[in-house]
Amino acid sequence: MSAQDTVLVVGAGPSGLSAAATIASMGKKAVVVEKEDVLGGAPIISGYAKLVPSGEWAKDAIGRMVSRVEGDGNVTIHKSTKVSKVEGEAGNFTATLSNGDKVEAGSIVLGTGFTHFDSINKPEWGFGTYEDVLTTSQMEQMVGTGQIRCPSDGRVPERVAILLCVGSRDRQIGREWCSKICCTVSTNLAMEIKEISPSTDVFIYYMDIRTFGLYEDKFYWKSQEEFKTKFVKARIAEVTKSPDGRLLVKGEDTLVKRPIVIPMDIVVHAIGMDPNALNPEIAKTFGIGLEKHGFIDRAEQYTNSQGTTRKGIYVCGAATGPEDIDTSIAQGQSAGSRAVADLFGQQKVAS
Amino acid sequence: MAIHEKTLIDPDRILQHDNLVVDGVDVSGSWNTMITPRTLTDYEENFEKIIQSYSGGENVHRCWQCGSCTNSCTMYAQNVDFNPRYWIYLIRLGLKAELLKDKDIIWQCVSCNKCTNICPKDVRPEGVMKATAHWMEDNGLTPKTLSTHFDEEFTHQCIEFGRIEDTEVMMGFFKRSNQPLVQPWIVEFGKRLSKGLPLGQLAKMGMNVVFRPKTKSWGKTGEVLAEYVKAQKEAAHHG
Repeated sequence: MSAQDTVLVVGAGPSGLSAAATIASMGKKAVVVEKEDVLGGAPIISGYAKLVPSGEWAKDAIGRMVSRVEGDGNVTIHKSTKVSKVEGEAGNFTATLSNGDKVEAGSIVLGTGFTHFDSINKPEWGFGTYEDVLTTSQMEQMVGTGQIRCPSDGRVPERVAILLCVGSRDRQIGREWCSKICCTVSTNLAMEIKEISPSTDVFIYYMDIRTFGLYEDKFYWKSQEEFKTKFVKARIAEVTKSPDGRLLVKGEDTLVKRPIVIPMDIVVHAIGMDPNALNPEIAKTFGIGLEKHGFIDRAEQYTNSQGTTRKGIYVCGAATGPEDIDTSIAQGQSAGSRAVADLFGQQKVAS
Repeated sequence: MAIHEKTLIDPDRILQHDNLVVDGVDVSGSWNTMITPRTLTDYEENFEKIIQSYSGGENVHRCWQCGSCTNSCTMYAQNVDFNPRYWIYLIRLGLKAELLKDKDIIWQCVSCNKCTNICPKDVRPEGVMKATAHWMEDNGLTPKTLSTHFDEEFTHQCIEFGRIEDTEVMMGFFKRSNQPLVQPWIVEFGKRLSKGLPLGQLAKMGMNVVFRPKTKSWGKTGEVLAEYVKAQKEAAHHG
């Protein structure tokens, strides 16, 4: 293995796995470094249920991506490992791993992903205070068990409220971005809940609904029309508990111009995507820049769309900002091809 | 088409008919003039800018109508007509007439700033309430507040004499705000003061009333000051 035929891939989520498979399919070597002890990234680690838009279970869909690289002779995988040092330059990098190994690579692909927003940072919405306040990830795990129950006492919820934009679009907590996929995920989650528990009514509290592109009718309309999800234009002020143990969502229904205090059995936070909490460390290790929100900064977008601010290092997926899985996979292929092109000679690298 | 229930209960559209008989049927009473056009026909496009020119209103353009301010509002909890989110919408679009329907309650904001703390776009709704109240006062749409009367008397004396005279400020304030000049507490104050017979103090007060003190070489300073303040105000709100 030499620098001229190897690409270092950091992160084994949808984008990194996609990049690794692309590199291997072009006859080059991919060395995958993953800090967790399992492959698959957020969909596997956080236990996502059915993915948008395929409707396939995450463990099946992402599982296929994992087994594709695991069975490939051109792919070497290091689990529970980080990159601790990167020396050299485009065409001839030497990376030192936390397990002491050294990897020579002509180019590098970062698929370092994001960190889920921690709902503790919005205490008024009850997460961490009430057992029946959950995040979308937790709710997806519940869907995965095939039963919808209140964590507090195991009863079947009559009503579930999903609050959108938790940790997104909020200057108060420095999250000045839309996390792109939570609207669609939430409309999908509402359908999954209804499917498992037909007696449960699901309410989505929104400021705007952003089910972009083809997700409009496949998710938003379908959820509303076929699964009877109720959409309420209100940003909830606080979640409290009534004496009978049910949760109360308080706010203003902006369309009716009336205050609301509505009993709910489960409240779900549609949590957004933060920059990977390790981004400052990643930026330092790889010598790359971060953009103003803390995501990985990109090179010139039109001729070097997966480039970072450093020549020879590419990036894909939610590392550069909130991203859906399909796009992350496409970007993984793009970054992988780009990185392989670099192995054929410096002149191929766009500035 | 569905009719928005709330828009129908509008005092200026209620007509009172004490003796109304239609086809021999007595239908006297309060009638809602649904026939009167309820369509909004235009926006006052510069209205948002005007509110922004008042201190506190600068960020009103950021609002996306999530309702967090109204949700958290102390006054809204008392009275659902007190709706900052709705007023900000009217300000942004320039629906001035609609806004003025609530002109008698907008001043009630208690500046608890819960809205400021929760607003995801940092609109600072409390500031917008303040700016709106000031704009209404400036334009004679609401009566001047007591504090405005006091400020005006205070400023007047500063400009006129280069200094203030306590008794004059108080009297001027009472006059401006239509309060009786002789109030029980003043009488009591006078009585207790005279008990100690502070002759020097009383003489000084008397002299001040007769010979109004003025800052030395004040000259035209007051005029210049007044002109400057006026120019600044105009530049801020009409520029």
